[in-house]
Amino acid sequence: MSSTEERKILEGIVAGDEVIITTFYKQNLQYVRQYILQNSGNEADVEDVFQDALVLIYQKLKADSLELHSSLRTYFYGVCKNIWRNRLRKNKKMVITEEIPDDAESIPPAVIEYIAQKEQEHVYRKHFLKLSDSCREILQLLFQGKSMKDIATITGYSEGYTRKKKFDCKRSLIQMIEKDPIYQELYLTPEKK
Amino acid sequence: MERTPEIFEKIEGYLTNTLPQEELIAFEKALATNQELQEEVEKHRMMHNVLGDQDTLDFKEKLARISTTIKEEEEEKIVTTSSFSLYWKVAASIVIVFGAGTLYWYISKSQNKTQNLYGSYYQAFPAEDNTRGNTTNEIQKVIKQYTNGVYDSVVIALENYPNLETQKRLQLYLGNSYLNLGQEKKAINQFTAISETDRYYEIGQWYLSLSYLKLNKPKKTIPILEEIIAYNGVYKAKAIKLLKELKK
Repeated sequence: MSSTEERKILEGIVAGDEVIITTFYKQNLQYVRQYILQNSGNEADVEDVFQDALVLIYQKLKADSLELHSSLRTYFYGVCKNIWRNRLRKNKKMVITEEIPDDAESIPPAVIEYIAQKEQEHVYRKHFLKLSDSCREILQLLFQGKSMKDIATITGYSEGYTRKKKFDCKRSLIQMIEKDPIYQELYLTPEKK
Repeated sequence: MERTPEIFEKIEGYLTNTLPQEELIAFEKALATNQELQEEVEKHRMMHNVLGDQDTLDFKEKLARISTTIKEEEEEKIVTTSSFSLYWKVAASIVIVFGAGTLYWYISKSQNKTQNLYGSYYQAFPAEDNTRGNTTNEIQKVIKQYTNGVYDSVVIALENYPNLETQKRLQLYLGNSYLNLGQEKKAINQFTAISETDRYYEIGQWYLSLSYLKLNKPKKTIPILEEIIAYNGVYKAKAIKLLKELKK
């Protein structure tokens, strides 16, 4: 892949270009799938790891801190493999039937550390997106710093109902997060912040 | 710690610096000695920080949508193969009605079905990351050629590669290259050479089944697929689907 093509893909990712992201997704899914399925994972793990790696690249692009010392594809595969290895290591209940090759050289140690730090974030986002539309709307407004009064005005609910709904949604989200096996493993063996 | 609306309000007030002075002092005092409260505050802080980033949330949501679309397309591809099968059944009826070349039709139908299935199920075995430290330059070059689909160069390089039989991943690359060059019998030799005790055995069997499919030998494909299903590994689901299609 030429550097011009890579630049286009990176620009597409940061701009949220659906065509470019879909093409990248299709071109690289099989490789990631093969790796994870061969190393104790399932299709849901493939989806999680693939998307979490892309989110990580997106965030690095947004922060203008993405430094590529290899091709984008190699970097991306390195991120996916490190995310998956982290999860396997954390979840000792998973049976590792074979030694997983170490590809740490594909990405710099600082990025490996960054991947570990981001693990909790992925869990929070994943479960937030599972909430109902009304819950998401209220919580999004809350996280943007809006007051209960403002949220009630925007959503059209009474202030009392908004407070109750906000509590129910937030509690339900925390419970989902706490039940997530990745979160439980992180909680038991927290990474350095 | 029991979660109540009051505690949530306090935590939110603390995180957004909107607690009145007296309540803030009382809250900080409780926080200093109550570990459960400390943990709860951290969960809320994380939620506010992570989920307050709307751009990343939107991006994540977009990825989920794209993933769903891709899955639907993959399903559709397999269903289309079934439709092809139905199409050929209809075509068969017409040919029989007109009484022309029944045998020729049967062979043609069978070949088309197996070829369609092969097209639907075959995906080249993915190449391992070529930046691995212990990979020689020669192998890195081969992997690059394989990834870029320059299969004839891969064949030239690997046919003369010393001790190839000890490197099953390379054998899989060679077998896949043969398959892509229309040299199915040579591909079969490579896939058959991967023994049952090897970690790549199931992968070898999967590509072996596809090689026979490409050669329009479903009777040879079927028992291999049954063995893959019994093996109960990562190719089981695909093998079940393909077997079902073949037996239609």
